[in-house]
Amino acid sequence: MSIQQRALQEFQRQPAATADTAAAVQLLGQLGLPQPRDEHWRNANLRAFEQVTHFLPPGASAALPALPAPLPGFQRAVFIDGRRAPQLSDAGALALLSNPAWPAPADNDGHRDDQRFALLNALFGNDAAQLDLAQDVAMEVLFIASGAAGSVYPRLAVTLAPGVRARLVERHLGATTADGFICAQTRIELQRGAHLDHYRLQDCNVATLWMDTLLAQVGEQAHYDVRLLGIGAATARCSAEVRLSGAKAALSWRSMAALDGRQVNDTLLRVTHAAPGTRTSQLFRGIAEGRARIGFDADVRVTAQAPGTRISQSLRGLIEGAESGINLRPRLTIHTDDIQASHGATTGQLDENLLFYLLSRGLDVATARALLKWAFLGDVLSAVDIPELRQQAETAAAGHLADRVLAGVLA
Amino acid sequence: MNASGAESLLEIDNLHVSVGGQQVLRGLNLAVNAGEVHAIMGPNGSGKSTLAHVLAGRPGYEITQGSVRYQGSDLLALPAEARARAGLFLGFQYPVEIPGVNNAYLLKTALNAQRRQRGLPDIDAFDFLALVRERMKLMQIEESFLARGVNEGFSGGEKKRNEILQMLILEPRLALLDETDSGLDIDALKVVARGVNSLRSPERAVVLVTHYQRLLDHVVPDFVHVLARGRVVRSGDRSLALELEKRGYDWVQEQAVA
Repeated sequence: MSIQQRALQEFQRQPAATADTAAAVQLLGQLGLPQPRDEHWRNANLRAFEQVTHFLPPGASAALPALPAPLPGFQRAVFIDGRRAPQLSDAGALALLSNPAWPAPADNDGHRDDQRFALLNALFGNDAAQLDLAQDVAMEVLFIASGAAGSVYPRLAVTLAPGVRARLVERHLGATTADGFICAQTRIELQRGAHLDHYRLQDCNVATLWMDTLLAQVGEQAHYDVRLLGIGAATARCSAEVRLSGAKAALSWRSMAALDGRQVNDTLLRVTHAAPGTRTSQLFRGIAEGRARIGFDADVRVTAQAPGTRISQSLRGLIEGAESGINLRPRLTIHTDDIQASHGATTGQLDENLLFYLLSRGLDVATARALLKWAFLGDVLSAVDIPELRQQAETAAAGHLADRVLAGVLA
Repeated sequence: MNASGAESLLEIDNLHVSVGGQQVLRGLNLAVNAGEVHAIMGPNGSGKSTLAHVLAGRPGYEITQGSVRYQGSDLLALPAEARARAGLFLGFQYPVEIPGVNNAYLLKTALNAQRRQRGLPDIDAFDFLALVRERMKLMQIEESFLARGVNEGFSGGEKKRNEILQMLILEPRLALLDETDSGLDIDALKVVARGVNSLRSPERAVVLVTHYQRLLDHVVPDFVHVLARGRVVRSGDRSLALELEKRGYDWVQEQAVA
């Protein structure tokens, strides 16, 4: 029995289907689930996904892991195993949340093949964290997997009304059992002139499988600023689709992965420039220690309706393990003449000249190497301008770097 | 102590070094005592920078013959970081930029590495700041540079002054300055020279690797050596540098061949 059949069989054991889930079942039947040989999924380690046998969410949560300290100035909403946890959430945050129906993603650009895990989320998910924001706010949404048997389906949807500026911290923590996985979906809609600073930290247990789908629609003069810190999980995959649909819409994407052991982290970032004067800047830094594998596939498309587009891509990988691997793919498809684009992708090892400079100042090899690794990640970490979150990210990343832990070194 | 009563810091004996299979140093001899300033001059490709980097322990050089003793011990047996902690400092001709690594952090980490080597505790944060501020003032470096990445976005002159600042914080026993004067305007040259001169003491020595004699107007050396084809072919006092300035290097190289 294929994994798709297993998933659908489990779905039949649920209470009656809704119109949304029926549509998702139909789509799943048409599209199937991704296969390891599929072009956009080669680096995603789908073999690990094939081990999943338990698709239904946990009936009851296991004992909770310790929650991170609240972020000063942020309202907190907590979801345990995909269910809202009012007792752990701020009243102010709960007042902003709604829990609407959750249909399968619409097929905006014909990229549904990359969003097939969102169909599983539509089939099996419980509560959604929907935020329709009409005023400026700082929110934190914590998705915790308690370790109870089953799979977890975090759902987050954010809509910013025109001109609203929001800061959103989205953290994925905890673990599932070995037969389950975390299948997250996030939807973003930014209306005219809105600005979202979106901080995403994935620091799940290193035995966990984390599959994530992010869909964003950025309107006229709106700005979407994403920092994605991928640190935990045995296998993590982010399939992101950002559509710059309004004139002068902008995306700033900064993400990093710091892995060791046999961890896998793969990102597919598709950006569509569909309006004039739109801008994208992408920055990725990945360090692979041990036998870890990192993939980053940046696919930017500029339509004929998007003259005056500006794009910059900077993708860099640092191979630290003899058996580690990094695969970076910057791609631009352009259908207009009026465009400025710069892109670069490099994968290599620590610069021996920099290392010698530090050694010549008396630093030991481990400290010098650690310093250079922090410097490498600095372009992304320094964009995390919430000190408590940055500290958590640095501490988590340090746990995956072979050299000595250092704090406070970044300029 | 050597025969003259001065403490011998560096003794290079018949040093042969090759890089990528090509012989660069061919039997170099040099002795540097505490309290002395030596200038090593020579044309391009004579081996000056190779000598400085070999002494500092840069990988990629093959020592095919000879020995180097530093404070009586085999210098070549030590890795680069141990040489630095033992008080040897290399001022780079082309200091690297390390974006992301905080300048102050590097200075403090380097200083503490040396202090631990000497059995001293880590420097107190306030004492460190006071020390750095004083030395930055001497080198005319703005305090805001402390929070910036190492040499990140610095001009050529600022990088060289930052090298000397590091030297003044670390207070090495033997400073090797590799063409520290290159690319400096006259004002920056004077600032760098002031920093080097402030380090002169009976316990320390400085080896200036330079192409031109103009630095030596401001840091007056006790000895001048001319390097050609990987060997010291002539040694003298400051007047030798002035003669080189007038006559160029050709005559020394011709003598070396002869």
